[in-house]
Parts: sequence; structure tokens; C-alpha cells
Amino acid sequence: MNETTTALLPGFRVLDLTSSMGALCGKLLGDLGMDVIKVEPPGGDAARSEPPFAKGRTDPEGSLRFAYLNAGKRGITLDPTKAGGRKVLLDLIARSDIVLETFAPGYLAAHGLGYEAFLARRPDLILVSLSGFGQDGPYAHFKTTDIIGNAMGGLLYISGDPTMTPCNPPETQSYYYASLFAAYGALLALWQRESRGIGAWIDASIQASMALHEHVAFNYSAEGRVMKRAGSQHQHNAPANLFQCKNGWISLFVTQNHWPILLKVWEGHDPELDDPKWINSNLRRQHADYINAQVTSFTLRFLKEELAELLQEHGIPGLPVNSPSDFMNDPHIQARGFFAAVDHPALGSFSQAGSPFMVDGERPSPSPAPLLGQHNEEVFCAELGIGSNKLAALAAEGAI
Amino acid sequence: MSSTNQILSGVRILTFTTGYAGPYAGRLLAGYGAEVIKVESRKGGLDTFRHYGQHKDIDAAPRFIECNLGVRSLSVNLKHPTGARLVRELAGKADAILQNFRPRVLDKLGLGDDELRKINPKLVIVKLPGFGSEGPKSGYGTWGFNLTAFSGMTYLWNHPEQDRPIGSQGVYPDHLGFVLGPTLMVASLLRSRLTGQGVTIDLAQIEGTAYTLGATYLDAAVNGYDPLPQGNRDPRAAPHGCFRCRGEDRWCVISVRDDEEWRAFCRVVGSSELAGNARFADLEGRLKHAGELESITQQWTETRSAEEVMSSLQAAGVPAGVVQTGADLLKDPQLRHRNYFAAFADSLIGPFEIPRSGILFRGMAEKPLRLPNRFGADNEQILGEILGYDQATIEQWHREEVLT
Repeated sequence: MNETTTALLPGFRVLDLTSSMGALCGKLLGDLGMDVIKVEPPGGDAARSEPPFAKGRTDPEGSLRFAYLNAGKRGITLDPTKAGGRKVLLDLIARSDIVLETFAPGYLAAHGLGYEAFLARRPDLILVSLSGFGQDGPYAHFKTTDIIGNAMGGLLYISGDPTMTPCNPPETQSYYYASLFAAYGALLALWQRESRGIGAWIDASIQASMALHEHVAFNYSAEGRVMKRAGSQHQHNAPANLFQCKNGWISLFVTQNHWPILLKVWEGHDPELDDPKWINSNLRRQHADYINAQVTSFTLRFLKEELAELLQEHGIPGLPVNSPSDFMNDPHIQARGFFAAVDHPALGSFSQAGSPFMVDGERPSPSPAPLLGQHNEEVFCAELGIGSNKLAALAAEGAI
Repeated sequence: MSSTNQILSGVRILTFTTGYAGPYAGRLLAGYGAEVIKVESRKGGLDTFRHYGQHKDIDAAPRFIECNLGVRSLSVNLKHPTGARLVRELAGKADAILQNFRPRVLDKLGLGDDELRKINPKLVIVKLPGFGSEGPKSGYGTWGFNLTAFSGMTYLWNHPEQDRPIGSQGVYPDHLGFVLGPTLMVASLLRSRLTGQGVTIDLAQIEGTAYTLGATYLDAAVNGYDPLPQGNRDPRAAPHGCFRCRGEDRWCVISVRDDEEWRAFCRVVGSSELAGNARFADLEGRLKHAGELESITQQWTETRSAEEVMSSLQAAGVPAGVVQTGADLLKDPQLRHRNYFAAFADSLIGPFEIPRSGILFRGMAEKPLRLPNRFGADNEQILGEILGYDQATIEQWHREEVLT
């Protein structure tokens, strides 16, 4: 709970102008201890109307997606395309280390808010631009959604059963994955600034972030092999798949080190499997249908949790296929304090996922997302020194 | 100002890593200029990816090469007291340790956090274990494949009409770990630099995975039910999904989010069933009749190439994209425009091209990536130049199987 120990980088300020496409980047920087200010248009970030919602609420505070992706940030409303709003934004940029944005490439520059305009106010600024395909190039103007990032990056083609339509991962993984890459870029740029005193402009691409997944491109280039959908069957190993148990499924991943141990645990297995040739993972993978059918006759004897425990006692990687609530209630996850209670001013108290890391044994504690415009006064008046007349004028202009 | 992307130049990181996430994290640090020294040993401490594939040569496994580009190799037997001592001495000359061994493996070898920080108080230690360093299941053996299942992601990554979970053949958690790891590494290096104090980061890969499902868990926590798989449907767009195109196993994804995109979609498809149909007039109607809309969309896509579907829709302002294969990625004009692939004309596995990174630093030259150094190739230089040992001593250690 001691903030000074778990906040890795206090004292750095981030202006987060992103939609849900880049919101996880700002969240991660916040989890690192930075002061992240979420800048929303006066009507609210579009993510405020993205499901899931709390108990059917569709008001601006009801989106749980917004609540999670913006947890720990402060929130202000500002329209930088209005003259007054533009000036306030530039004043804020002068006091910020990092700016995150996910506008269509060229949009900010067209409003006089390009990298150069930012640099004029903050010469060592770090600008992180996240987009579907990058800031320039033949597809830079393409519209993007999450599934388009997964498709154009190559993950979608290999996801799902070969007899079915390729299947998109849950939530918006291509946004999230590019957001993590963008955060890495921001940290690298901050390191460079501390060494050399210069800023940077980072061009994060959702497509490029996804295209390094699962060796899809490398397999084709190095081996001429086009990876295809294979259900749950891993490309190099068997048994490395989901196997049915009495009450659900277990995920097994058995390499050559663990294969002989599995046979010891597996009472009554077919003596044919004792042939030392099966220690070779490549051979087991070539005969995955046979191996998988044999292993299923074993896994069906157990409850999934019971089998996972038995295998893990022998060091064999096996874990149950959990539902979200199974995961949330798991004693290990609970003991690590990954979920913690958060008091949300509009939604009440609930259990929210925290940072995925601990700092010297302590986890940064999660906090709620900002209400719409919650920190306007704090930021505009107390920090920027905008008087009440000026504030009223900005509101009248529709800038805040 | 012209510069290169070797931002971490001058930073020295010792890595104890095996498999995918840990090594690739080292590769992403090396790609931006860090000196990454991978510590391994033939005495029970080889990276498991050295055994993937058909090659007998432990330097020629494609998976290993992919995950260890730019990394230097020190072969030292940690179970030998002298080997462990050399690593402690190196920790005194390094900025950070990156490791993804099971918890307490290094502690038992006299290389625990306290031991190392006694030698180097500023040392940063980043750990990437599957289930974290503490907790009742921290000793569990896990691969990314298993972590996907444990987090709930396998359960969610399915079409609603499936009668069994499928999820993914892949190891998504590793991908999350190898970006989160370097991010936490640089954040910790910066903290150590600003405060003069080292720090230990415990980054559980299972929690890195769960970090990307936070909205789903909130849904479960607040609304008291288990969210169901959504497949390719999106509650805010219709038609939305993956549609079969002309050719074998060719597909295109399409997302129509608002009325403007809907009108553009209707213009491109040019079907009378769509444009004038009152049932499809607003998003609510389109969502209600999503199934029907999807069949009409597919009738249109299946007589066209995926590329044609994408380009005609994108030209009209409708989000669409080809479901690209590995072969498609290698010829993708946008990725080529970004100079995305590092090309190796010659290597132990022949010529190949490989993705560099999800990010670019605009205006900065990218230094070419290097192949991994061969196993143990850097022993002399590391022990000689960094620790100051002479050639004869190093040769003796080779004979005594300290260096192996």
C-alpha cells in the first residue's frame, strides 16, 4: 500500500488523448506511477458507450470497459479543435512529458496540433501515435477496428477450428497489444530523453504489432510454411491441446522432458506408448490424432482441477480451462491480490483487476476511472491557473 | 537531429531465460541497443528452444534464432561454485537481470535477489514467471498455452454456437510477456537511475494475460454472471465479422459501425436488399437482424477476392481487411513501407526475413538486427574484457567444465 515504493515513476505526466484503441497504454503508464490525464471530448470518450455496462446502465458512467481501461487516470474534458481548447491543450502539453493519441493519421496536424506545434511548446516532448497501420504508407488512411488489426496482422487466420470461420479473440486484443508496444516505445523514449535531452515521435502500428505473433511471418519466410487454423492443437507438440475431463476441459502442454513423467502418472496406459521413440516431440506431433485419443481416455477419468493438481505435483504443465469467474475465484490469484476492491464514485464498490506486476513484493493498488470532467477544476484552475471568467468562456465555446 | 534507435546503448543486462517470452523480451531489449548477455549451460541449463526443429546443431533451431536475435552468449555452469561466482561478479558490472526460471531456482544457486543486490545495490531484477514468484501455485509449470486456458481467455475465444471450447493453437500470453517485460525493465532502469536504488519486479505472465481481460472480469464482478464467448460479433457494429471470399480459405473482415459507414457499405455492395430496407435503417435494426445481414454480406464477398473486398470498402470509408496468411504478410505493401522485416541473407537456417517491432521512432535510423551469437561465443570477451580474467584462466575454466 506504500505508494512511494510501488509507484515506479512518479513525477512524470502523460496526456492521454486516446480512444479505447490506445487506452491500455495510458493505463499501464499510470500503473507505473505516472500522472495520467485522460483528455475526453466534452461529450465524453466514445468508450463510455462501449459495453459491457454495469447492470444495464448506459449513461456515461456505466461502461465497465471505460472503467477498466481508464482506471487510475485523472479526467478532463477538452475539445482541441476549438480555438480556446487548442490553447489549453498546448498549455497542458508544455507541462507534460508524454502525449498519447489515436486520431486518424494527419488529423491533429490538420488542426494545427501536429508534432511540430507540440515541440514549439515542449521541445523534449514524447509523442506516441497509435494507429491501425502507421502514420504513413499505402494503408495509413485505412479505417481500423480490432478485428481488422487481428486480420491484417495474421493472428485471425490461424485462430479457430479449420472447419469453421476464423475466430476473433475476446475484448479488443489487437488494440491492447499495440497499446503495450506503444508503452514500451514511451519508456524507451523517456530513457533516451534522460540521456540525451531529446524527445521522440513514436509511430505504433496495430498491424505491425500483431504481425510478429505466433511465428506466422517467420515460419513462411524461413520454412515456406503457411500456418493454418488447427483448433487447439499446438504446432510443435503433442499432447498440447485441450482434453476433456469429467467436468470440463484441461489444457496440457507436454514436451519431451515431461512425456516419460506423464506415462508414470498415467496408470493403465497403452504399453505401445512406452516405446522410447515417442519421447521425440516431433514424432508425437506427427501422430497427434493417435496421441490425443489416447490421452483423452486418461483425462476423462478426472475432474479438471483434480487432474491439474495431480499433474503439477509431478511438474507437468496442465491447467484447467477456466471461465472468467473460475479465474477470479482461484485461490492462487486471490492470494496474490491481483483483484482488489475499488470504490467507484458512480458505480459503487467492486473488485477490479490490478497491475500485472509487483514492485519489491508489493502490488500497486488499483483506483477507479475518472467521472466525466471530474478533474476539470483541479487541472484547469488549480494547475493551469485559469480564472472563473475564462473557464466560463471556454464552456460557452464548447471547448470544455 | 539524426540518430539511431540504439537507445539502450550502454545498458548491460544478464538474462536467464528459456522458451519464448523471456528470450524474446531479451531480443526486444537488444534490438534497441542494450548489451544482452544470455547465460546458459550444457550442464542442464540450455534454452529449450535450442531443441525445437530437426537440427542437431543447438545454434540452428529456427525458434531459438527467432527469439534471441542480437543476444550475446555466455556458457557457464551455475551449479559449479566458480560458475556461480562469475555470475555474481558479472552482476556487479551489469545494470539488470532478466529471468523467467521457476521461482527460487536462482536462489538455490546462490544467485538470489539479496545476494546480487549486496554486490550491486542499483541492480534491477525483472522476473517473468508463469504464475509469479509467490502464492500457492507459484511452483506450477506453465506454458503460454496453459495460461491462456487458466485466465478464461480460451473459454471466451470461441464462436457462440460451438459445443466445445477451442481457443487458440498459440501462446498469446508469451507475446504479452515479452512486451510487458521490456517495458517494466526500462521503467525500472529509469527508476534505479533516478533514485540510485535497485528494484525487483515480479511480472506474472498469468497476470499479464489477465490484464487484457479486465473489462470482462468487471462484467462478471459487477453483474454477477460469467460472460459468454462473442465470436466475431460486436455489440456495436453490424455487419461485423469474417466473411468467405473467392479462392481457397480466403476471408475478409468487415466492421460497419455507424450510419455513415452503413450507407457507404450499401453503395459499394449495391444490393437493393440493403439500402432501402427499413429493418436495417439504424444500428439497432442491423444488430437485431445481424444474421440475415451476414448472409447477404457473404453472398457479396464470396464471388470476390478478399483484396477486392478490402480495397473497395476501404476506398468508400468502411473498415475492412484481408485475413492475411504468413505469405500475405511477407508481401504486404504497408509492412514493406515500414521496413518491417529484417532480412538475413545468410544464416545457419538459410536466408530469412523476420518482423522487427510494432513501433517505429520517426526520423531515427534503425540499426540492423544481428543473429544470435553462437553458444558460448562471447565467453572470452565477457570474462576477459568485463571481468579482467586472462586467457589461461579462461581456458582452464573451459577444461574444468566451469564454462560449458
